[in-house]
Amino acid sequence: MRSIRIIWRILKETYQSIKFSGMSNFMVISILTVTLALFGGVLQFNSSIKQIYQNLDNQLEFSIYLIEGAETKAIAQKISQIEAVKKVDIIPKDIAWRTFRDKFGFSEDSSNPLPDTLHVNVKRAQDLKPVIEQIKNYSGIEQISYAPQLFQGLRRVRSILFSFGLFITLILAISTITIISNTIQLIVKSRSLEIKILRLVGVDDWYIRGPFITHGIFYGLVSSLIAIIPLVIFQNFVWNSFQASFKTIMPLTFTFDSGNELGLIFVIMFLTGIIVCGTSSYMVTNRYIKV
Amino acid sequence: MIKFKNVSKFYGPIKALDNINFEIEAGEMVFIVGPSGAGKSTLMKLLYREERNTHGQILINNIDVSSLSEDKIPYLRRRMGIIFQDFKLLPNKSIFDNIAYGLRGLGVSEFEIQKRVAGALNLVGLLERAEAFPEELSGGEQQRVGIARAIVQGPPLVIADEPTGNLDPKTSIEIFNLLKSVSLRGTTVIVSTHNHKIVKEFKERVLVLEDGKLVNDTLLSSVSNPYA
Repeated sequence: MRSIRIIWRILKETYQSIKFSGMSNFMVISILTVTLALFGGVLQFNSSIKQIYQNLDNQLEFSIYLIEGAETKAIAQKISQIEAVKKVDIIPKDIAWRTFRDKFGFSEDSSNPLPDTLHVNVKRAQDLKPVIEQIKNYSGIEQISYAPQLFQGLRRVRSILFSFGLFITLILAISTITIISNTIQLIVKSRSLEIKILRLVGVDDWYIRGPFITHGIFYGLVSSLIAIIPLVIFQNFVWNSFQASFKTIMPLTFTFDSGNELGLIFVIMFLTGIIVCGTSSYMVTNRYIKV
Repeated sequence: MIKFKNVSKFYGPIKALDNINFEIEAGEMVFIVGPSGAGKSTLMKLLYREERNTHGQILINNIDVSSLSEDKIPYLRRRMGIIFQDFKLLPNKSIFDNIAYGLRGLGVSEFEIQKRVAGALNLVGLLERAEAFPEELSGGEQQRVGIARAIVQGPPLVIADEPTGNLDPKTSIEIFNLLKSVSLRGTTVIVSTHNHKIVKEFKERVLVLEDGKLVNDTLLSSVSNPYA
């Protein structure tokens, strides 16, 4: 019963401490929210790209663009005879052009720049590259397009953006920890008389430090809850629209969903916020509150 | 109850207390007098472990305070009440809440707090001012609140460090009388003061400190001038 009373009173003291901080709370939560949102954004970006790669690695389809005047049917038949090939679809250039024109609003008078295309499906993902190697020297073939090849450049971009994002997050995290520490330190100093009275009455050390640590945890909790909002918005509107456009442009049937890991990202942000803020506050109380 | 054995305290090269020896029995009221800088406050701080002695032993109920680990200090302080010269009252809390503040930190129930605070305020004659704020009280009344806060847990030892330093002589006598009444209830009371004129009016034991040394330890009923 005594422990419950003490915990309840620590929470009441925390509330007093938050109330006392006034506008400082707004400042700390704003900066911490930006930092956590950026951190979550980096994780989200990385997770999305990782899923694209996983999807690409499992790709069973590739496209072959034929040169003008090539024997489309003969080439398609030759390819379909390969053991690992499951299916070959011929996309005549007229049909491809009509689809493209309808989608992007070109006039009917425009000349058709597209070649005949073959969409080849292999039986297993590991068959993709050997089959491409086998048919790339066939006559009549201008270019072979498959997803991993398309994204080789993206791998480098991802690596650079991920490192840069983490670096910025780290810088912001250091600034945030400094701001949280200063805010808690100011509260500790402004409440020095209360702390002294509690010490001299013989109140337990953790009761004195508790409200300051829970105050820090409050910052982490609120900021992580706010920081998830822009990530959800990004996920639901920006990223999903991007996917829709991406599928239109890609010459392949291609699906991926980066939203699966949003829950995990939120848990990571939530725990990071609470642990970092709680630890910063604990360190401040350790330094400025003596028994 | 309290034993000082060869206690010295240094602040760097400065010797604040030099080889102090004395004993205080349970229920005694003892004045520690001396001019400013004599070491009175240092001696008081050693008792409640705000400071740690450099040499010697300080025993309270046979427990060596100087070697007490930090996590045990709160337990030591729960057995004593401390009164300060500057009252140390929280300006934004009522008199009742000022006294109840520490009890809440100790996890005492609200029912028990009501009972104890009312008892302490009654003893210092401020029960009717329970809802007032410190700024509404005179200096003497504020110190009475300080005394109520010190005795609210019913400690066996009360330490008053210059409790009348900010008060006029008439109010000082009232405060000393109040501390005397606390002592008569069986509590050991140690009071430091530089106001030896008022001390002379109380026939109690007086320890005289000068330049960190204990120069006299006597009962005023037998010696009229403690500085003699």
